[in-house]
Amino acid sequence: MSEPAFLTIAEASRLFAKRELSPVELTEACLRRIETLDSQLDSFVAVTAERARAEAKAAEAAIMTSRPLSRLHGIPYCLKDIFDTAGIRTTAMSKLLADNVPTRDSHCLEKLAAAGGVLLGKNATWEFAHGGPSWDVLFPPARNPWDRTCSPAGSSSGSAAAVAAGFAPATLGSDTGGSIRSPAAACGIAGLKPTYGLVSRRGVLPNCFSQDHAGPLAWTTEDVAILLQIIAGHDPEDPGSVDVAIPDYASALTGNVKGLVIGVPVPWLEKEAPPSAPTMAAFEAALDVFRGLGASVRPVALPPIEQFDDAKKIIAISELFTIHAADLRKRPELFGASLRYRIIAGGLVRAEDYIQAMRLRTELARSLQAVLATVDLLMLPTAEPAGKLETVPHSSLFTRPSLTAAFNVGGNPALSVCSGFDTRGLPFSLQIVGRLFDEPTVLRAGDAYEKATPWRDRRPVL
Amino acid sequence: MTKPPTDEDIVRLARQAGLDLPAEFMPELIEAYGHVRQMVDRVSVARPRGDEPAHVFVASAFKPVTD
Repeated sequence: MSEPAFLTIAEASRLFAKRELSPVELTEACLRRIETLDSQLDSFVAVTAERARAEAKAAEAAIMTSRPLSRLHGIPYCLKDIFDTAGIRTTAMSKLLADNVPTRDSHCLEKLAAAGGVLLGKNATWEFAHGGPSWDVLFPPARNPWDRTCSPAGSSSGSAAAVAAGFAPATLGSDTGGSIRSPAAACGIAGLKPTYGLVSRRGVLPNCFSQDHAGPLAWTTEDVAILLQIIAGHDPEDPGSVDVAIPDYASALTGNVKGLVIGVPVPWLEKEAPPSAPTMAAFEAALDVFRGLGASVRPVALPPIEQFDDAKKIIAISELFTIHAADLRKRPELFGASLRYRIIAGGLVRAEDYIQAMRLRTELARSLQAVLATVDLLMLPTAEPAGKLETVPHSSLFTRPSLTAAFNVGGNPALSVCSGFDTRGLPFSLQIVGRLFDEPTVLRAGDAYEKATPWRDRRPVL
Repeated sequence: MTKPPTDEDIVRLARQAGLDLPAEFMPELIEAYGHVRQMVDRVSVARPRGDEPAHVFVASAFKPVTD
């Protein structure tokens, strides 16, 4: 058996069932790697070793005497440090929350714990999941395991870095404009922003109420499906939570994408936000894989990307300002400069402007669903390969077009998977977007692609 | 496009929003608001009166858990 910490959830749970690996052995392997290697990456802001060992021991005893509670039973995982953990500090990397110890677990943590998971600790993020990378906040920013001089993107940066580095097979992040998908892309793993309302946000520190999504990151799409199965479902304590039947996501992973129709937003990629030539070449190669598997590809026209970005950002900064208004007025110096810059002007947005942005959101979301009624999936690159980990202009949030935010505006499920490596060895990414609540088709496509390509065989070396 | 606000306009708007910021933070507010203003101008288009925003109240989300 290879390094246990590099096992996927699916592989480890199968080995548990055959008594060839135990939860204690796997947990110790993860803790060993974190202890010896995370000083290179800063992907964890807190390691809960004592709790992990106790949970692993309990899981081992339970699995030895009866059936596992789930495929996550005995599997280590970690959480972005914006998920409330009762009795464990939850800081969002902010000096404002340096002493914040929640008294109740987030809904997602309750679900993961009930499924028998083993909590390893909390992952680095950007301050309040929005401003970064920053060196003037509570902890240093995480680094990219493929190249430690590079950024793991954000804001679920530590989460993605930890999974890629083999510190944990599973983690949860949050996504308001791409914060699960972009780090997954930069770190070469799978990350899913589920449909808005499918996964409860209760106990997750808010970024923008109307566009926040909690979701899983893991090495493979199959593992993402396993995690989604556990965390999806109605939560009456989250006003945005939707009461829908939860399908069996694992059974959707048939490997068969024959007959699927894939739409490509060509005007975005050719004119409005053109990726680099190498990124487009990797994207075209990924489409060829799907053609080879029996899918068809056609161009589609979505509303202008600038409209999605405008709606997303006006709504986000208005909600962000409201969330942080009291602190911005009384102690603005405690915010990192990046976050403060990105939200402070939200206090000057008029109610009329916010409502207009919300009206535009309605129009855009309807247009997006109309296009998705003509195809099964949309595909496009998630992002460029990782850039250097360095201070970026705070204004980049406002000036740089996003290939991910549109699907926060629309609420659609969107998955990022690894689609190869550039000449520096940094991952390319493919974004797969589905109809509302059609996670099964999104996951089926991601899983089929991963199984048809060799990209899951390569790991970063630390 | 509306007339760009002056720095003094922005300081006044900030005070109306309860932001009596230290002087060192004003340049970043002024710069950031310039970007926000451009976005706001772009979304400020005439819409029908009945054009509903995306956050209309959904009563069922607030039913007591015990119902």
